[in-house]
Amino acid sequence: MNIYKTKKTIVDTVTHIILIAVSATCLFPVFWMLSSSLKTQDQIFSKMTLLPETWNWSNYVTAFIKADFGQYFLNSVFYTVVGVFFVVFISSLAAYAFARLDFFGKNIFFYMLIATLLIPIPGVFVPLYLLLKSLGLLDSRLGLLLCYISNGLAFAIFLLKGFFDDLPKEIEEAALIDGCSRFGIYWRIALPLAKPALATIVIMNSLTIWNEFLLALVVLQDKAKMPIQRGLMVFQGTFITDYPLLMAGLTIATIPIVIVYLLMQKHIVKGIAAGALKG
Amino acid sequence: MKITPKEKLSNFCFIVPALVLFLVFSLYPILRTFQLSVFQWNGIDKDMIFVGLAQYKHILFNNPAFWKSMWNAGYVTILSLTLQNGLALLLALLVSRNIRGENVYRTIFFLPPVLSGVVVGLIWKFVFDGNFGVLNHFLGNIGLSQFQDFAWLSEIKTALSSVAVVHMWKGFGYGFIILLAGLQTIPIELYEAAEVDGADAWQQFKNITFPLLIPIFTIVSILTILGSMQIFDLIYSMTRGGPAGHTHVPITKIYEYMSNGEFGYSTAMAVIFGGVLLVVSFAQIYASKRFNYNNK
Amino acid sequence: MSKLKMLVLMQVFFAFTFVLFTGCNKESKQSKADVVIWHWMTDRQEAFESLAQQYYKETGVKVSFETYAPTDVYKNKISAAATADLLPDVFNPIADKKETASYINAGFIANLTEEMEKDGWKDSFFTKALTQNTFEAGNEWGVNPGIYAVPLDVNSLMVYYNKDLFSQVGLDPENPPKTWPEFIEAGKVLRAANIQPFTSGFGEGWLIGAFAQSYQWNLFGKDGVLDAIEGKIPYTDARWVKIFELFAEMRDNKLFASGIVTMVNKDAERSFATGKAAMAFNGSWGVNVYHSMAPNLNYGVMPPPALTEEQGAKYPLLMFGGEGSSLFVNDKSPNKQKAIDFLKWMTQIDPQVYLAKETLNIPSNKNAAGDLPPVLKVFSENIVNTFESLPKIESWQVTNFININLQSVIIGERTPAQAAKEVQGEKERQAKADK
Repeated sequence: MNIYKTKKTIVDTVTHIILIAVSATCLFPVFWMLSSSLKTQDQIFSKMTLLPETWNWSNYVTAFIKADFGQYFLNSVFYTVVGVFFVVFISSLAAYAFARLDFFGKNIFFYMLIATLLIPIPGVFVPLYLLLKSLGLLDSRLGLLLCYISNGLAFAIFLLKGFFDDLPKEIEEAALIDGCSRFGIYWRIALPLAKPALATIVIMNSLTIWNEFLLALVVLQDKAKMPIQRGLMVFQGTFITDYPLLMAGLTIATIPIVIVYLLMQKHIVKGIAAGALKG
Repeated sequence: MKITPKEKLSNFCFIVPALVLFLVFSLYPILRTFQLSVFQWNGIDKDMIFVGLAQYKHILFNNPAFWKSMWNAGYVTILSLTLQNGLALLLALLVSRNIRGENVYRTIFFLPPVLSGVVVGLIWKFVFDGNFGVLNHFLGNIGLSQFQDFAWLSEIKTALSSVAVVHMWKGFGYGFIILLAGLQTIPIELYEAAEVDGADAWQQFKNITFPLLIPIFTIVSILTILGSMQIFDLIYSMTRGGPAGHTHVPITKIYEYMSNGEFGYSTAMAVIFGGVLLVVSFAQIYASKRFNYNNK
Repeated sequence: MSKLKMLVLMQVFFAFTFVLFTGCNKESKQSKADVVIWHWMTDRQEAFESLAQQYYKETGVKVSFETYAPTDVYKNKISAAATADLLPDVFNPIADKKETASYINAGFIANLTEEMEKDGWKDSFFTKALTQNTFEAGNEWGVNPGIYAVPLDVNSLMVYYNKDLFSQVGLDPENPPKTWPEFIEAGKVLRAANIQPFTSGFGEGWLIGAFAQSYQWNLFGKDGVLDAIEGKIPYTDARWVKIFELFAEMRDNKLFASGIVTMVNKDAERSFATGKAAMAFNGSWGVNVYHSMAPNLNYGVMPPPALTEEQGAKYPLLMFGGEGSSLFVNDKSPNKQKAIDFLKWMTQIDPQVYLAKETLNIPSNKNAAGDLPPVLKVFSENIVNTFESLPKIESWQVTNFININLQSVIIGERTPAQAAKEVQGEKERQAKADK
């Protein structure tokens, strides 16, 4: 018994060493970004210290003002919140229908949807642009949002369908007998149960929308509608060599999404386990 | 339960928003891509010139640089499939051993995928820099002074691999999370039974974990293939395809042609590339199905 | 029934939300400026804005400058906007002559000749400032002859050298290398002292190409350069191999800074400004950049070192440059005249002197160039030595191949002869594709 215990301790120690080593490589670049953002130019290029000698918080103020982050920030929050909301709502409606309801052309539509996950045609950019043009949606928040939303649908539906498939039917049937409508069941029963899958979708889509810049830059004309990544691009062009400032800018653009992630992360494994893997 | 046509119609309403968006913003652009690819057009001229399959022919037979870029992406993909997924599996197995701090590790490992490609590229570019880089500084500190001034991203031998390392660093968290989720779906009773039968850890892995993980491997592999073949942000912010085109990948190539006003040509490239990806994905699905079948 | 109702309600909610967004758009449009200018010159935004303010005070016309960077993002934005007919009043397609011609033929760029002839506007510029965007009668793209852009500044690409580092290793800081062999020798001396001799943003194809082109003019002369474009002289010509050999020679003597083949110019500029590298091939805008990075940097400029006669140089060495940043007026803009008037105002002496001072560029208005700092003076004197304008241009694919193969020679992947052959191969493939 003692040998067994010692063995377990050794294995555990080795495990922790490996995991800590990998964690360190994950954290180091992020740590480096934070630390560089507080240094002066001189400290970065001549003295390679881990921590800044003097903590120059003013880099953040400068970066925030110079890159016009304030305005872009609000836009990005708007796109992310609205975009993610509609992805969640539209995809969960559809996924519920695919999992539970019967309707005309069900299978064809589902496989078509899944096929777009497998056919990644990057050149779709140009046609998409032309499409927005003919719909009169260039330079509109709506046009950009529609692209973002439709972009996130396929994966979300795939994930959620797997989740809904696994929900016990009995509760729903009981509710149906109680006079609940189909929509009522979806809204009051299925959706609350799908929380982990929804959290996963929220994280994934927040990431994509928050970090997207190519489409936004091209679709939008008006500076007042641009997201934060645009500020970052201009900022990069101007301050590519001013590393502390650049790193401060990167940090500002990164922190919100990391916060969203940290808030939602505990659901993510469950969400994937129940959704994608069954689907 | 009997379903009336009226109910069917109302059920259909559930998917209307998704369907409309899908048809308009996914299917239509894909079809339009095919249409654009047979025209020579720079996006500005009023007339598109119909050239039939000439651009396809040119890409297939007269554009070695494009195929080189395909190979580069393939190289990154192969590395990711083996090293990155191997690491992801190892970490998932370790973390799922019910050790302390599981949540902390899990949170940290998924941090790199959360960061944007541009941010990651800029940070790592700085790490790899020949003159001011952290890596060379570190190597110098542990006595490897021959790497002073060594520009990792500018040497043929190291450029693509360096980019691949960063790509894998950014990506392993995805595979890790999915595999971890997969491991948690395996019923604990199976292991308990095996324990009773006296199976050791390796036998348990070989006979329970591995076979049950195969479908999950398929998902992870396909995501890895799609993600690695379409690598763009990182390369764009780290090397822009250099040195001498050694880190060009299909998407940077497509982007390059588009930037030079070759809209038609670049969509033809995109179609070919999309075709290659589709074939690879299906080959992967087929292979894993067969493998799965043979194993049973 | 209630479920249907609920769904319909939801979909109405959608529609409503979306209409709300579009509603917002219309509101914001009213506050727009009279003249909107899209540019990529992030470092000049502040100076531009203050000029716009001054102009607003003088005339009541509101001009707004909007920056999009980096340059290739800007370029994509412009071409996308052109496709959708959404170009601003003033912009620059950042294109070669062929692509610019497409814009003109599609009616996106106004012919400014008539305006330029008025009040001697045209004559106020350096001649070279206009040639790049002037189309001659009978040009191969079928563009109506005329002047199509307003240059804001002129520039040329030369070699900066750090005087302190030169003195430190015993090189004469007032007498930089003039010929290629002297340049190589100087480089060896610097390397021996553990200083990186030469840097530039050779990761950006056009810069490595610009350096090589100087030697193309040096070896071929105007007719030779044209013949190569027309395919009469193959790229496997001994003189082209010689150009590739120059890069091999620099490599063999360890002249290049670490990582030069993937270096973007900003990084090269930092490397020179921090004294890591002793020489830098860069444009006249570098004066401003170095000023902001290291105000006390002690440097001079010299032309790219010319080849000697023994090396086969039969023609003068010319430099990349001429027109620096130009702005084009959107022919379809309702504010076309206002835009032209503003640009006219902006290229008068006072605003030009202001811009030159604030942004340390050489003004395109030659009457404003009298009072420049000494280093910029060298650049402005060398504007006459920039490449001549050609009636034909090489396709971007071949140009791209040249740049890539120059990099390839530097990293020792291909020999100069192999590189030349590669380029010729692409030239032939393009010729075939054109048919």
